[in-house]
Formats: sequence, C-alpha cells, structure tokens
Amino acid sequence: MKKIRFGLKTLYLVLALFLSFNAFAQSTSVSGTVVSADDGFGLPGVNVIVKGTTNGTVTDFDGNYTLNVADSNATLVFSYIGFTTQEIPLNGQTTVNATMTEDATALDEVVLVGYGTQIKRQVTGSVQTIEAQELADLPVSQVTQKLQGKLAGVQINQTTGKPGQGMSVRIRGQLSVSGGSEPLYVIDGFPISGGINNLNPDEIEDITILKDAASTSLYGSRAANGVVLITTKNGTVGETNVSLNTSTGIQQVPQRGRIDMMDAVEFAQFKKEYYEDQGDPVPAIFQDPSQYEGKTNDWYGALLRTSPVQNYNLTITSNKEKLRTAVVAGFFKQDGVVINSDYERYSLRVNLDYNVSDKVRLGFNIAPSYIKDNTPRSDGDRGVGILFNALHTWPIMPIYNEDGTRTTFNNFPAETGNIFSYANWLTSAEQIKNENKNVNILSNAFVEYEPIDGLVIKSSLNAEIYNEKYEFFSPSTATFRINVPIPTTSEAIWEDQRDFSYLNENLATYTKSFGDHNFSLLGGFSYQKFRRDFNRIAANTFADDRLPTIQGAANIDRNGTFDNIQEWSLVSFLSRLTYNYKGKYLLTAAVRRDGSSRFGSGNRWGNFPSVSAGWIISDEAFMENQEAINMLKFRASYGVTGNNNIGNYTQYALINNRVNAAFNDEFAPGSAVSSLSNSNLGWETTKQFDIGFDLSLFNDRVSFIYDYYTKNTTNLLYNVQVPQESGFTNFSDNIGEIKFWGHEFALNTVNTTGKFRWTTNANISFNRNEVVSLAEGIDRVYGTFHITQVGKPFAQFYGHIADGVYLNQQDLDSSPQVPGRSTVGSIKLVDVNGDGVITNGGDNDDRAIMGNPFPDFTYGITNTIKYGNWDFSVIGTGSQGNDVLVRHLYSTTNLDGVFNLLSDVKYRFRSVDNPGRGFYGTTVGGGNVTGIERDWVNSRFVADASFFNIRNITLGYTLGGVDRFFKSARIYGSIQNVHIFTKYWGGPNPEISTESDGDGDGGNLSPGVDLSGYPVPRIFSLGVNLNF
Amino acid sequence: MKKIFSILVVLGVLATGCEDELTIFPEDSLSVPTFYKTEVDFEQAVNGAYAPLRTVLNGTGGGPSGIYLKEMHSDNTYYARNTAFGATEQQEDLADFAVPTDQGITTNVHVQNVYVYNYQVIARTNQILATIDEAEFDGAAKNNIKGQALFLRALAYFDLVQLFGSVPMHLVPVLSREDAALPLSSEDELYTQIISDASEAITLLPSKSQQDPGRATSGAARTLLANVHIVREQWAEAEAQARAVVESDEYMLMPDYADAFSGNSGNKNNMESVFEIQYKEGAEGLNGTFLYYSLPWPLDAEEVGSLMQTSNPQPLSGEGNNIPTPDILAAYEDGDLRKDASITYVNSSGSFWRDGTYPIINKFLEPHSLHFNHGVNWPVYRYSEVLLFLAEALEEQGESGEALIYLNQVRTRAGLGDPTGDLGEAIFNERRVELAFENKRWFDLVRTGRAVDVITAYGNRIKANPNDYYYPEGAEPRGNAFSNISLRYGLPASESSLNPNF
Repeated sequence: MKKIRFGLKTLYLVLALFLSFNAFAQSTSVSGTVVSADDGFGLPGVNVIVKGTTNGTVTDFDGNYTLNVADSNATLVFSYIGFTTQEIPLNGQTTVNATMTEDATALDEVVLVGYGTQIKRQVTGSVQTIEAQELADLPVSQVTQKLQGKLAGVQINQTTGKPGQGMSVRIRGQLSVSGGSEPLYVIDGFPISGGINNLNPDEIEDITILKDAASTSLYGSRAANGVVLITTKNGTVGETNVSLNTSTGIQQVPQRGRIDMMDAVEFAQFKKEYYEDQGDPVPAIFQDPSQYEGKTNDWYGALLRTSPVQNYNLTITSNKEKLRTAVVAGFFKQDGVVINSDYERYSLRVNLDYNVSDKVRLGFNIAPSYIKDNTPRSDGDRGVGILFNALHTWPIMPIYNEDGTRTTFNNFPAETGNIFSYANWLTSAEQIKNENKNVNILSNAFVEYEPIDGLVIKSSLNAEIYNEKYEFFSPSTATFRINVPIPTTSEAIWEDQRDFSYLNENLATYTKSFGDHNFSLLGGFSYQKFRRDFNRIAANTFADDRLPTIQGAANIDRNGTFDNIQEWSLVSFLSRLTYNYKGKYLLTAAVRRDGSSRFGSGNRWGNFPSVSAGWIISDEAFMENQEAINMLKFRASYGVTGNNNIGNYTQYALINNRVNAAFNDEFAPGSAVSSLSNSNLGWETTKQFDIGFDLSLFNDRVSFIYDYYTKNTTNLLYNVQVPQESGFTNFSDNIGEIKFWGHEFALNTVNTTGKFRWTTNANISFNRNEVVSLAEGIDRVYGTFHITQVGKPFAQFYGHIADGVYLNQQDLDSSPQVPGRSTVGSIKLVDVNGDGVITNGGDNDDRAIMGNPFPDFTYGITNTIKYGNWDFSVIGTGSQGNDVLVRHLYSTTNLDGVFNLLSDVKYRFRSVDNPGRGFYGTTVGGGNVTGIERDWVNSRFVADASFFNIRNITLGYTLGGVDRFFKSARIYGSIQNVHIFTKYWGGPNPEISTESDGDGDGGNLSPGVDLSGYPVPRIFSLGVNLNF
Repeated sequence: MKKIFSILVVLGVLATGCEDELTIFPEDSLSVPTFYKTEVDFEQAVNGAYAPLRTVLNGTGGGPSGIYLKEMHSDNTYYARNTAFGATEQQEDLADFAVPTDQGITTNVHVQNVYVYNYQVIARTNQILATIDEAEFDGAAKNNIKGQALFLRALAYFDLVQLFGSVPMHLVPVLSREDAALPLSSEDELYTQIISDASEAITLLPSKSQQDPGRATSGAARTLLANVHIVREQWAEAEAQARAVVESDEYMLMPDYADAFSGNSGNKNNMESVFEIQYKEGAEGLNGTFLYYSLPWPLDAEEVGSLMQTSNPQPLSGEGNNIPTPDILAAYEDGDLRKDASITYVNSSGSFWRDGTYPIINKFLEPHSLHFNHGVNWPVYRYSEVLLFLAEALEEQGESGEALIYLNQVRTRAGLGDPTGDLGEAIFNERRVELAFENKRWFDLVRTGRAVDVITAYGNRIKANPNDYYYPEGAEPRGNAFSNISLRYGLPASESSLNPNF
C-alpha cells in the first residue's frame, strides 16, 4: 500500500505544481467540524490535508478547522491515528464536516514483525503490540515498569525499588541454568547489547513483543528468551506538532507492608524475658522496658524519606515535503526514597527520514543519553546492604546522642548479649558514594531502494556506544559492613566500561501477487560485532576522605584491580517466505543461520527455522451469516530458536598465568591451563510449538486472543563436574532439558460507547516448567536455598518442613529430634525420610521441597473510561501462587537476641504453659538449640507472595479553547502503586528477588529471595500534556 | 526475483570470509590456542607444573595432606590428642590406620588432596609434553623443559602408585568430558611408564652443576629411577642408577647433618640436595606453612613466637599433628648426632597431656619473619638416600662389603661406627633415622612387607599405653583405631562418583 501511495503522491505533487497558478488566483477558505462517530464529540488533532498537496491543517480542540484551498474541486483527506482515513471531495462546498470512525481492525492495519511489517490480520505468530500512548501517564522511569500487567505471557517484576534498576522480564517463563533469560531488545531494527532501562519511554512510538518461535526465529541464536521490538517516534503525516509532557510527583514508602519490627519497649521486654527464661540475672538496661517508651530508634525508617520525581519531555514531529523528523528531548529526575539515592536522565533523540526520490529513501536516527544514579549500598545481605543492616539493628541503639549530634558507632557491653556492633547507618547511607554515570548513544542509518515495483532493498548501519563510569567510595567515617568500628579504612572502587557495538544489515523484500496467490520473500545478511573494555581499580586507606583519588590511596588492592575485555561477533543469513491465498489461508516459513564467535569451532553455525500457518475462518463463505463474528483466525506455529548467552570465551581453555613457582628463592612466573576447552560448545536450543486463535465479535466490541504453547529448551549451558584426574574440576557443556508450557488469554472489550466510553483490557497467563534432565548421572543441582531437580519444576525452595514446636516433654520424646539439639519448645521439623532423626544434608537428609517461586498465573487488567473531557484509567496487575523465601528471618527472628526482631517473636514459646503461637521457639539453650530454627532453612521462611497491585490510577481532564496558543492541553493526576492486596508478610515488595550481593535477579538457580531490599515507593504525580 | 538471488549470491560470497570474523580469542587472558608457542611459554608451563608439589605439603584443604599420608601414617609420628577439640577425624583416621574405606573408596579429604594435586602435576606436564615438540625453539632449552616435565610426571605417578596401587593413567591432555575419566591401569603398566619417563628424563636433563638450582636434574631423575627399581626389587638396575649418581661427582654429604636441610633461605639446594620442593618466604604466595602443622596445638602466641621468632606470632588452637612418637625417639642409637638435629621439645601451656612438653620435629624448624609464612624447602631426595639406595641394592645382591662402605658414609657423619647385626636390617633402620620425617617411612614399611606387623605392634602399644602417645590422662584411642591396616589407600570417593570405572 505504502509504495503505491508514494507513486500517487508524486503524481499529485506534479499535478499540484501544475495547478498552482490557478490556485493562487482563486484560493477559498474551507471550514468544518470533525466529530467522532462513536460519541459525536469534536475530535481534536485530526489532520486535514488537500489531497495531493502538503497543504493542510489540524483540527482544534473542538474538532474545528479552517483551511485555504486553491482548487474548489479538490479532495480533503482527514486522517487520525486509530481512525479510518476519509477522503471528501469539495465539489465547491466551503463547509465540509467529517465523521471519523475507529478502525481498530482496519483491514490494512500493519504490525511490526521481525525484519519487516505485516498486515495484522495476516500475522500467523504470537505477537502483541502496545502503543506508547497507553503508557504515557505512568510516572516511572523505565519502559518495563510501564509494561507491567499489559502483556499476556510476559512476567515483569520489579525486584528492587532502586531508581532506574531492578526490572526482570521473562517471556513465557523462560529459564536457564547458567545462561541469561532476559529477552532480546531490538530498537528500530537494531538488536542492542543490553537492556532498555536507560531508554526514555517518551521516545517510543510502540512496542511489539514476539513470543512464539515463528515470530522470533528470524532472530536466531538470540531469540529463545523472546524478542521485544521497539519503534521510536517519527513524524506522521500532517503539520509540525510540538508537544510538551511534564509531570512532577512525590514518592513515599507506604506503611503497609513494612516489616513489623519490635519497638524499643518490646525489644527490651524480649531481652528481659530471655534472661528470665534462661534463669540468668537480667542486665540492668533491660530490667525496666517501660523506660524506653517513646524512645524507639527506627533505624530502617530513618533511612527513608519522601522524595520528588519529575519528568519533562519535549517532542517535535513534522512531515514536510520529503522530510519526516521527530525530535524528543527528555529530562527525568528521581530522588530515591532511601536517602542519598537518586537517578537522573538527560536524553535526546533525533529521527530523520528523507525521500530522495520515488525509489530511494534515507533514514538517520541518533539518540544520545546521559544517566547518573547513586544508591548507597542499599541492597544485599546482612553486612552487605545498609537497609538490611538497619532493619536488624537494636532499637535501643541511639541514632542521635543526647546533644542531638549523630552517634558514630554503637555497641553495648558483652553482658547485654550484644555481639554485633554497628556504624551509624544514616551516616553510612549519606556518605557512601555508589555512583554510576553513563553515556549511551544509539544510532541508525539506512538507505532503502525500490528498483522495481515490489522489490525493496534496505541496507543499514547501526551503532551503539555505551560508556559507564562507576565510582564507589566509603570514607573512613562510614561503612556498610557490620562489626567495623568507625573510623575505619576508607575504600574506593573505580570502574570504567566502554562498549561499542555495530551492526550492518542488508535486506531485500520482494512482494508479488499472482491472482489470489500473494507472496512476500525476504532475504538478508547481517554482521554484528561487540566489544567491551572494562577496567577496575580498587584502592583503600586514603590520606584524606576529601580526596578519594588513586594517588591519595595508600594501597592498591591487587585482587580487585583488573582489566576485562569482552568481544563477540555474529554473522547471520536470514530468509522468510510469506504466502497467502485469498488473504485467508496464511503460511509463513522463516530461517536464520547464525555463526557466532561464542560457539566452539566445531559448532560454529546454527540454523533456526520456523513455520507457521493461519486460517481466517471468518472469511469463509459459510461464516458469512455469523453476524456476531467479525473475525476468527486460527494460528499454529513451530520453530527453533537459540539462547547464545553462554559467555564469550567459555569454549576456550584459558591459561591461568598466576601459577607461579620459586627456584632457589628466585620468583619464577608460571602458567597452567585452568579450564577445559569445548570446541562443540553451542547455544541453548528452544523448540516451541504454539497454537491459538484471534476472535473479534460484535463489531469489534470484543476481541479475544488465546495461545497455548509448549517448548523444550535443550543443550542448557551447564558446568559439569569432571573427575579431577583430568587436572580440572568442571567442563562447560550443553546438557539437560527443561520443558515449558502455558496458556495465555487476552481480552479487549469496549463496554460502553458514546459519551461515556469504557474499555477494558485484561490478560491472564499460566506458565509451567519442568526439568526433564540435567547432566548424565546428576538429577539435581542446588541453588542457595533451592533445588532444581529432574521431574520437578525449576528452582524450588528446598529446606526442612516446620511443624510447630515441641510443646512438652512427651511431644519431644515421641517425635523425631535433632540429636543433642532439640529441646522442649524448640522447632519441630518433619522427619521426611522417616529414619527417626532429623538430619540436615548428607545421605540422610530430611530436606524437601517447601515452596515454588513461580506463580500459578499472572494477570493484568486495565480499565479506561472517557467521559467528555474527562479520562480515567486504572491498571491492576497480579500474580497468584508464587512463594518468596523471607531470608532476612535468619537475622530478624534470631532467638538469641543479638538482633532486633520481628514483632511477632513476642508470641514465641516460653514455657509448656505459655507456648505462644507455636511459630517461634524457645530462646533457652543458646545457639545449639535456636540455631536450628534460623540456620536450617525451613518452611517458616516461605511466604505466599500472591498479590494484586493497583498499579496505577490516572484521572485526566482535557482543556478546550483556553488559549489559541496550544491545540490541546490535558492535565492529569496519577498515583503509582496505589495499593497492594497481598498476604505477603516478608516485606513491602512481593515481587522482590534479591541476590545476596544485592544485584537483582536472584541468580538463575536461586530466585525469589527477600533480603529486605530497596522498597518500591508509592508515587503521587501531577502532569500536563500540551500540544502546540 | 533474479535480482534477489544475485544479491544473495554476492552476500554469500562476502560471507565466506566469516570464519576469521568469528574467531575471537580473549584478550585479557591467554588461551591454549595462543599459548604453548615459545620458549617462555613452556618455561612458564613447566614452572606451573611444579606448583602443586608445594601445595600438597601446605595447609590448603585442612593440613599438609602429603605429610599426613606418608609420615603420620606410620610409626614415626602421631597426633597430640586435644580432648577439648573436635572435628579432627580426617587427620586422626590417617594416624590411627582407621581411614573409613568401603570397596576401595574413601572420603578422607587428605587422600583426595594428594590424589588431586598429583593429577594436577600430571595434567600440566601432559600439556607440555603434548605440545612442546611442535614449538620451535632452541633444542637444549626444549630438552631441559621436556626432561623436567617427564621427571615431574614420573614423580607424580610414582607417588600415586605407591599410595593407591592401580590408578587411571593420563598421558595426554584431557580435551573433552569423555576423556576425563579413564579406567584404572595396573601397577605394572604404571611402573613401565614411570621407568620410561624417568629414563627419558635422565637423557634430557642437565646435571646439577649445569641446571638452574632448584629444578629437576639428571641426578634427580636417576635417583627417582633408582628408587623405583628399589621398590620393584630390581636391585641391579637400582644399583646402576644410584652408582651413576654417586660417580657423577655432583653431590656430597654436608659435613653436619643439621646443614643438610635447606633452612629458611641461604642453604637451599646445597651440595647434598638432589631434589627439593621449593618454597619462598614472602607475599608472592610461594611460601610454606607445613612447620605449623607439625606442632602440638594449642600453643599460645608466645610459645609459637619463641619457636618461629616471627614478628607477629599468633596462637594456634585445635589439635596438633605429626608429633614424633616414642618409637622414633627410641630408634636412634646412642650417640647418634642426628637425634638432636632431628628432634627438639616445646611446651604447650594449654595442653592437658602431662606437663605439656612434647617432642617436635627439629630438622626443618627455622626462624622466619611472619606467622604462617616460611621459606623452608622440603627434601624429596638427599644424597645420603642415594648412598643408602646403593648400599641396599648391593646388600640385596650379596655384595655386603661394598654396601657397608656406602652405609658407613652416612653413619660416619652421624657420629656412628660400623653397624651391628644383620646388614639388611641395619640399612633399613638407618633409613628410618637418617630420613625421619621426610615422608619415607610408610613407603619403606610397605615395600619391605613389614607394614602390617610393624603397625599392628605399634597400634597395640598405643592402645596399651595411650598416655605415652600423647593422650591426656583418661583419654582413650578411638574404637576404630588400627582397624584398617591396609597397604594401599582407597581411591577418593569424590572421584569415584565421577569416574564410572571405580
């Protein structure tokens, strides 16, 4: 269609030029009103142009327009996104009104697919597109945050609230033992090397998710985790449009969900009882708990604050003559809700598209951005993350001295049971610098040539530059560690990362119809190369905290100082044939052949084929009388994709050149092979089958999409143990298999039309997995608190099953015990193997699967209501049936009283007559008794993390006719993370998944662990959209 | 359509150069395809092959496993039972001849360590031997490196075959998972290879005076080969190799027995030294720690400091090992100068045993600068052992007269005259005291067929008088003590679980 339009356009241009003499002579003014067929209200922003010219205008807020037209017999073209374009001949009239109808299922609506576009109706894969417009009002920095709950089959979790970080995206539940599982992101055709958390969402026009193998196989060895295609804004037909979108908000951590810790009185009471139950004298400071009334030191709360967030975006789009341009300039600034954390983004995008001639088109995009963020070691395990440290610090430890100054270091005498001493965490959070600054430049350039009708050849060059500077500095007056007296050793880390990636891609598409047979053939070749240069310097003991420079450090830490260089290259050939007969029998076959430097020399090339078929049954004659059904399409696909996240040099036997020797007291440098090579190392292979249908009913008022998929991932990258007689401990190999299957449902309904227009989008996804095999002779691998076992779902929580406490001597005597450790009142565990004794690990292990980090289903629902000038939307997202391991309990329920405790610990077992709630055991007996409860991970740590989050509520009002200066203005108020309905008691964020180093996704084998990370704030914001 | 295909053909032609584009070696680390090319590469590679020898006698993995397996697993040394301390069974099982072994498999960590470190030497030397012939560099340097590699491989297999009997025999680098586990080779197969490697090493290696001090020499290879023949009771071959070493004029006994040992520095690779495991004091990670494991723990910082004379002495807590037994103390003849040079005493104020004064090994003890960091070399072969090999080989062939000459060279330095009684017995006893604490005793007991009798009697003495063997008053040997006096160690369970052949 497009190509034909180019031809026509040129023709009309010539005609217009020819006629222009006339036109100037007899220019007449035409005016009218454009209304929506739905509700009869005026439609602002509709493009009105004189057909075949660039003469045009845009309707004002009330849908009115006025246009000078040279030829009174010209035709006006009315176009507006989402509505069917209309052409109305003037026939001498000076008033032309138009009624626009929505074209949600317009026959020629196209969607982006890999390496091209396709008519939506004829797509045979599982593809979902989101217009950025739908996401505009959410006051968050990352695109993926905005996508939460919008996509069937895509689980998006915010694993930490650290500004600008922590989003985990899993398409169709994809997993791997040691490879990466994030989808491939493709921005304007360029597969970028990392994620998209730095991308300004306002630059995006739309986002397309490719889920099944037929849609993704053209991305070959990178496609197994799914593909996310992002198209950035470009000028649309019409006049220049300038819009300014700004919002400003405040963020705070809701009280609900905060971990309920003991206050100072409760804590002192606990300590008092601890000594009493033990039969020991109570230390003086705990003898009168009431003295601490009103004197709680809320260390955790003190680290939090209410903080602002602001967002400014200026977008200019235009489509003049042969040149289409879009410029998006953005500034986003978020101060974190943890003190001294912040995130700032400055971004710019310039997209140009130039028609050199009928046959040649050039494009050029460049998008630089600068991002700075700081988080003062907030996340991580005890002694690693400041938030966890603060959480378990005694509430009677003073944050401030009597004189109002801040304490520097806190400990109590040993007789109080205080064995952990702490720096002042406020000072630590304030003074520790943990800063990233990065500059990212994405650019594309292409030339498109149409030598003959139907053949389009496109060649592009894409480059990505990413430079990151990381600085960590902990001065002598602060630390994130525990038991480190202040002043301490100052330490610093500097990291410098420079990435460069480029891609050359050459595609040819030939489209041709022979009668009812319609073909489109794509062929292409691409070459992509990536290089990362990384340096790290670690130093400590600075002469002056004010000068954290390398020359200011007394010591360079040799182990922490190194270079790292990473490179890969990828050569690919791709081809796709799309065929349909009469537009209703659809067939697509595609194949990509990838050669990658990551693959072993004996296994360098992989083929990734797919086929898919569709049948638009509603177009059949026998369906003609089915009035209710507008469209019904059945789809099926099968294909093979790969995951090449296997490390760049895993195939090689590397040399360790630090295996030194001495001879006669002379140092002699030595080397040895440190790993086994694997010349057959390859990608992880996923074979996926998908079947589904698209149904549209009642004049497209209801549309429904269903997909069932099943996929098997084989050749998992796995570090297999080998006998050490080989001189090595393990071998990286492609081994094992995981099976995945699931159902996805998406429903869009227009519930009411007219003045009160209410639409609902809902989706629900069921994803399952099962480990089919691991390495030969190995039926399980362990994660931190997890087991991945053949025949079971991946990464299940693994530990002892808690069964209350031993209530009395008889209970103790008649139950299996931990020999020498169990007592009346201590935790009772289930004797899983039935040998009469409770054992942790080894041959007589009593551990069992005790929870599942993966949900039974996830869902999202968005309701949008428009009433006159008002608009209102509510987004809800949810997850059902997943568990989280509340890891911080090993500190926060430590019965020895060395840390502050969960408030509920006051209901622990104290005596046979006062057994508490049967959840927490006796404090008597010390670590030999209490250690079982906290150190042997058990089912008490597992919490149901099902939730439903009212993710966002937005209320907007569009102003009309306020000022001729702008075409339209809208103001809105938005609340993000309105309320979470959940039984999860481990902390404020049921989506959490902390790795012990606080890095985020929990590691492949150990997801869903709560170490009390950065809380996700609630955000209240106000915004304005202005169109000039 | 034609155009599309012609474009694809052109692209296809462009892509034929792809293999080069797709080969990217890591730049921040050397890899096998880029290494093993030059003389420097191979020099580094052979240096790396010496490294595990150092590790196996250090504390990595719970103590100096090599010492525990060969010396404390004999009647020469025992542990100093500390009843206040548990989790010591890995060491005690070795000294008590109670290593839990099931169908030839054991979980003992020290057994595993010795096994693994020997195979590290083997893997590293295999890598050298597989690639060195391809490399182009000076023939003399190449022979030297190759000779060292062969010597080290023979040394490692000799250790393995004496400890375990049949073990897998890797002679080429393991390149794939399938090659990692091999079936067990018989002792005969292993000895054939050891003799072949050692013999070739003799021809390739320079003599001691021509070699960089500390590296393997032709003399070391001959001594190793002599030792192999002694174990195999091939007396004439053993005599020939030992005699060649003696006649090489490369070695002499140090006049004073105490000077035969390397010291912390300054006396390393002296004229008596045939082959030593090389340590270096300092921060490069090349230091030794084994002295600290041959002490009666607990010791407070002052007691440790007075022994080691370090600037930063630290207390040692737990249970000490490798304490000379009353048996070895009694084995020295009256007037033997070596007794005081070999054994001294230390007082442990924290001990529950008698007055806390224990005998300790003196021959390696040297002052050094920093706690747990010494430069003392470990003697593998000394010239006095070459003399004793020669004496034994001659005596076994009935040439007692000549045997006595070499035996007496050793005895004279020790301040002793002619031995009394049977000459064979005299040589055997001489080895015990001359080479005490040098990891020779267990192998000598096994090869002479005396192990079961000697250790059974030794065990009975301990069980009868535990207090004489450093058990505090009232403490008893464990019930399983001396329940498993077998001539070979079981193979490591961690390996058995990964190798389907055992």
